[in-house]
Amino acid sequence: MQALNRLTFGARVGDVQQVMAMGVEKWIDLQLHPEKIDDSALNSRLAPLATLRMSTKEIAEDFPNPQLLNQVMNGRRSMPSDPIRRAIYKVQLARFQDRKNEAGKNASIVAADRPGNTASERSAMTANTAQESAGANAQNTGMTAAASDTTPSAGIDASADMNASGNENMMAASAPPAAPVKMTPEEEAQARRREDQLYADLEVQQLPSLPPDQRFKKILDMPTASQVAFAESLRGGKGLAFLEGLSPKQRETLLAMNNPLGVVTNELAQAKLLRAVYSQRQLDEVMTDFWVNHFNVFIDKGLDRLLVTSYERDVIRPRALGKFEDLLVATAKSPAMLFYLDNWLSVGPNSVRAVGPPPRPYGRYGRRYPPQQPQRNQGRRPSGLNENYGRELLELHTLSVNGGYSQRDVTEVAKVFTGWTIDKPAEGGEFKYEPRMHEPGSKLVLGHRIKSKGEGEGLEVLHLLATNPQTAHFISLKLAERFVSDNPPPALVDRMAKTFLNKKGDIREVLSTLFHSPEFWDDGTYRAKVKTPFEFVASALRATGAEVEDALPLTRQLANMGMPLYGAQPPSGYSMKAETWVSSSALLNRMNFALALTGGKMRGVKVDAAHLDGSAVAGNPAPTGASETLSTLEGELVAGGVSQQTHDSIVTQVQTSEKSSAHSPDVSMIGGLLLGSPEFQRR
Amino acid sequence: MGITRRIFLRNSALTVVGTAAVPSFLARAAWGAAEPATRTKRLVVIFQRGAADGLNIVVPHAEPQYYAMRPSISIPRKDVIDLDGFFGLHPSLAPFKPLWQQRQLAIVHAAGSPDPNRSHFDAQDFMESGTPGMKATDDGWLNRSLRNLQHGSPRSPFEAISMGPSIPRILSGLEPAVALNSINDFTVGGHNGKASPLASTFEAMYGHSLDTVLHSTGEETFDAVKMLKSADPAKYQPAPGADYPRGRFGDSMRQLAQLIKANLGVQVAFADVGGWDHHVNEGATQGQIATVLRDFSQSLAAFWTDLGDLGEDTVVVTMSEFGRTARENGNRGTDHGHANVMFVLGGPVKGGKVYGRWPGLDQSQLYEGRDLALTTDFRQVLGEAVARHMGNKNLSEVFPGYENQPGKFLRYLG
Repeated sequence: MQALNRLTFGARVGDVQQVMAMGVEKWIDLQLHPEKIDDSALNSRLAPLATLRMSTKEIAEDFPNPQLLNQVMNGRRSMPSDPIRRAIYKVQLARFQDRKNEAGKNASIVAADRPGNTASERSAMTANTAQESAGANAQNTGMTAAASDTTPSAGIDASADMNASGNENMMAASAPPAAPVKMTPEEEAQARRREDQLYADLEVQQLPSLPPDQRFKKILDMPTASQVAFAESLRGGKGLAFLEGLSPKQRETLLAMNNPLGVVTNELAQAKLLRAVYSQRQLDEVMTDFWVNHFNVFIDKGLDRLLVTSYERDVIRPRALGKFEDLLVATAKSPAMLFYLDNWLSVGPNSVRAVGPPPRPYGRYGRRYPPQQPQRNQGRRPSGLNENYGRELLELHTLSVNGGYSQRDVTEVAKVFTGWTIDKPAEGGEFKYEPRMHEPGSKLVLGHRIKSKGEGEGLEVLHLLATNPQTAHFISLKLAERFVSDNPPPALVDRMAKTFLNKKGDIREVLSTLFHSPEFWDDGTYRAKVKTPFEFVASALRATGAEVEDALPLTRQLANMGMPLYGAQPPSGYSMKAETWVSSSALLNRMNFALALTGGKMRGVKVDAAHLDGSAVAGNPAPTGASETLSTLEGELVAGGVSQQTHDSIVTQVQTSEKSSAHSPDVSMIGGLLLGSPEFQRR
Repeated sequence: MGITRRIFLRNSALTVVGTAAVPSFLARAAWGAAEPATRTKRLVVIFQRGAADGLNIVVPHAEPQYYAMRPSISIPRKDVIDLDGFFGLHPSLAPFKPLWQQRQLAIVHAAGSPDPNRSHFDAQDFMESGTPGMKATDDGWLNRSLRNLQHGSPRSPFEAISMGPSIPRILSGLEPAVALNSINDFTVGGHNGKASPLASTFEAMYGHSLDTVLHSTGEETFDAVKMLKSADPAKYQPAPGADYPRGRFGDSMRQLAQLIKANLGVQVAFADVGGWDHHVNEGATQGQIATVLRDFSQSLAAFWTDLGDLGEDTVVVTMSEFGRTARENGNRGTDHGHANVMFVLGGPVKGGKVYGRWPGLDQSQLYEGRDLALTTDFRQVLGEAVARHMGNKNLSEVFPGYENQPGKFLRYLG
């Protein structure tokens, strides 16, 4: 029971018996080797979520981001020939045009105020205006159309600089001249489009009456104005009638018309929930979740929308039970992390990129010119250090905040990682080491001299950090906090840290030490953890044997509970501690979720009463009365049972309900009360 | 306490300014209307999470160094809203201008936590615990500030509230506090008072539970649910002219005003607003920082308008974990720095003035050669509000380890 509650996202009906039959030891060992566990049932549930299996490059092409659209508008990239992709691009471009006209108007007002402005300043401002909507919308937990489809992201202007040659940013280049007196051609075109839209809206309203295939075809064949109107009607998760009966691929296409990257991030969030509920490889899933949170990347930061799918699949998951150093290196090189913590933009102040090529030797003894002062860069090209990654690498990924490093170390580490960048992020490019951005010379990190050797310096520092006793302790502590309690016994943590160091950061070995420690099985740590909202929702779905038909509404529930999946903004990720998750709002949310779930009011989920009361299992008779139902459900839903107080409270409710005919005590009511009980909030 | 005289004087100033709407309590006080014997004093704390760039918020526009260090992200002199010839507001803070002119809004510059730490997590932690450098403090100063205060009988569960899904560090501790995300959802099994009969079962479960953590939160929750239902805050819609922007912070402030207007006994309240960590493309008059500042100032100005007379007993203080580097970085952004700016808004505030000593921006004046130096400890600013506004004189308990000498208060309160 202890093991089931903590190594998984919660026990399902029958799990306890199964583990007992197999033997706990053997079961734990199997969970530590997930590759031996068949997970085909889960995989068929994930099958409709096509983006999970796409490379970042493919995602970038099928679900165009604003920067890519920029290139198409500029003629630097051609429209896709595939008619389906084309439709998605066309709608985005039409919307982009509208916004550009808006932005253009604003820019011209500003420009009129400030005659001294250069075109490039103006363009930077416009790009920023667009970017800020990303930040402002980030709160909307990734579901929103607005967030991703209005967002030339942080990367836009910088990478346009890095990858394209001298092409002015589209937004500035096409900004209308200052202070327009009457309607510009753009505005006239816009007015025309608005009129078209009125007719288009009518056309769109007819759509749901068509059979699915015809409807899909019709939408693809509609003129762009109608497609834009159609896309509008899907905003904010509305317009479900349009999607009724379509194949997953068709749905994806239509949803992408409204919000291309929203399709990607929504599928990822849905997959996370489905995996937690249905995967047989539960420990693997728990550990993937743990590392994704440890090496947190906020999915709503610009291009990270298209990068996190691969980040979890290719960087974290394959190493979740492997060697810590491998994981550390893989995250350091991942476009998702490089983008999130800005390292891809960090430039050595004395690098070739910042000061130009090194001068030729001077004089007989090969003396060089006096070192040049880094010049303040006039263009929009990044020209200096960005400490963001360096700091979080030390504080959050390895040594921890009291790990004995200084501001000087942060700066030196930042220098070490200059040049670790992304090759064309908007096109789904990979990690690239760019020597021209790298700070020359040796560096001093934590008292170690790191000799100048380009990319190798970063690897040396990562090795230094991965093998540091502070790191061993910090990672062990966090694991113990996840699996045991908010304040795990120091002796346990020390033992784990010792394994970490002896076994060269082998995570499987550290976990094995943990699972075989007496403290893990100690009564004092029984139900010591309050579930996070994600753990609560997943465990409720598992306990009730719920059939999740559409995970999207569930992911929105989690956003409501303060834990949007992949939506932790700060680099520290989500807290695992009780104090964060126990509050009035949180408790009410959980009670309401519990009642909605068992009462069949949670959209996208079905809970079968026969499954709940155990009568679905062959040979089990249905409970005959309310009190029998209660005792069956207590056993099935709450691993480890409930307290006398909870039991009595429900009995009182059952008796009251039996007297009044309005509310007959049924499985769903009792189930809801149990899932909302204090006991079910813990594991 | 001379409030009438002061407000009268302030009103005279208003006849000169004459633009913004004058809260009616000012007019009423000026007419010498009787004031109720005891009134609930309120302290509202706003946290700007992510380290706001104080130098681009209240701009030292007379400092040539400011412009020299920020070639692409400084706010041009002609665009700032000048305050006193030296400082000026970022243009996105235009909604603050009338509050400044009415002298409800004061500014403390070069303020913050003296701890040299530049980690968001730690620095926020320290500013919320109120004990910079001390990790072991397990409660927050705003919670501790409630001790020794007069409480209603029975105590209102809404005495201490946080707008959000969870109780933040600053409000955690022995005194009861409620976290509230949305007024409408604050009930069991149905919106707007249509509470499910099952609510009482949950109440009994949590009420009798031996699980200390869940028991106490559960009890607070159900008390709050019942009280909220009877107060029916839905009646209190925003006052005319209180135009809250859409978004999380605007929602927080709008709902907070509703709770205050519904007379739920709110004494301390907390809300936070994120999105200040601009390492890349911070922007200047336009851009990222302009957008968050617009949201920030519109929300606070709407809150102030919405409170109307209740503003008389309300003080709002804003803070952020640290400032940002005086120089812009290589990505047209700023990195983690040191001292910052704080706003104080409220009825008893002697506004229209920038408090605190300005340390200057010359290389030798910068903290560690890179950041705005600190001249006012944030605990001194908060201590004044706790002691002189809320009436809790036991500051050594609220800010242990810090000697808050009333004689050294900035006296931004009248």
